[in-house]
Amino acid sequence: MIWRELDGELVVRNAETGSTHLLGALAGDILQALIEAQSGLTADDLVARLRNDTASEAQWHAAIEEVLTEFERLGLAERAA
Amino acid sequence: MIVADLRHEELARTLAGAGLRLRTGPFVSRIRSRLPALCDTIALHYAEHPLDDAGGFADFHVRLTAPRSLRRWLRPQVLFEFDDTAAFHPLPAGQAFPVLEWGLNWCVSAHCHQYLIVHAAVVEKSGSALLLPAPPGSGKSTLCAGLVTRGWRLLSDELALIDPATGRIIPLPRPIGLKNASIAVIRAFASRAVLGATVHDTAKGAVAHLKPPVDSVRRAAQAAMPRWVVLPRYEAGAGARLKPVARGRAFMQLADNAFNYHLHGRSGFELLAQLVEACACYELAYGDLEQAVQACETIAAQP
Repeated sequence: MIWRELDGELVVRNAETGSTHLLGALAGDILQALIEAQSGLTADDLVARLRNDTASEAQWHAAIEEVLTEFERLGLAERAA
Repeated sequence: MIVADLRHEELARTLAGAGLRLRTGPFVSRIRSRLPALCDTIALHYAEHPLDDAGGFADFHVRLTAPRSLRRWLRPQVLFEFDDTAAFHPLPAGQAFPVLEWGLNWCVSAHCHQYLIVHAAVVEKSGSALLLPAPPGSGKSTLCAGLVTRGWRLLSDELALIDPATGRIIPLPRPIGLKNASIAVIRAFASRAVLGATVHDTAKGAVAHLKPPVDSVRRAAQAAMPRWVVLPRYEAGAGARLKPVARGRAFMQLADNAFNYHLHGRSGFELLAQLVEACACYELAYGDLEQAVQACETIAAQP
């Protein structure tokens, strides 16, 4: 996977599928956190790492879950069994 | 030697015989046809284009013929052949010139993968290129025609050829295809512009071609570095609204409108990323061509 940050957004190319995606700020942060972690992260790990003081923990968790579901659909990440 | 150096009967004889070896930008097309109307329109639109030496290499061997069927006596048709093989279904004979233009576009977009090819118009000013990537119906060709009639150099109306080695845009100046209401818009906008006859009832509606400016044809060897990306969108009654757009969106618009981005893999991704990083990117919603051209002039005037 290769990516480039452009004006605060992330453009990502998935080498496995050949598809390219434009990710917003949160999705970009999550993808970078996953890549840096190498061994995988849980949604709770991501909630803790990417703290957001303007949202409640439940809202933040839901937002991250939504992004992870989208990543799964796009083949950018997969859930461990 | 250029096309205009041939007398009309020489041009007709060349087209009917060994073929016209027409140079457009980096390509040579060997065009053969016995259709008289096609000879006239090539003479008009390609008058200043250079001819290549007989016997030299040609990138594309194309022929426009009348299919041999009973229909030719009732409703004559034209067939575009590539390497002596029909490339598309036949169309009415009156559409011969649009068929040639669409066919030549296909020759490039389907075969010339040494370039990253984007469906975009490209014009140049002061050595810098302005790209207009857009899907059909966005007003790309109308804006391109408006700009070249006001002194911008035409690099291409339809196919932006991005050289992966340099990132520069390789010119491919050919007639600008105008559709439907755009034809009257350009006639009114630039009364001295040379437009061919309007061909009605094509798959794209009414079509007419604008002859490329002589200076653009003569400077076809001069590539230009991209400096601006403008995403055009026709919007009736909009005047012209120009606003900056994030580079990520410009990247996606270029990739979505590319013919062969998927074939270039990682290098295509890097090439487009470098391109948008080096460009100022805008969105231009317009319904008034005069204002849209002025908006592009404003962009170009910025340091």
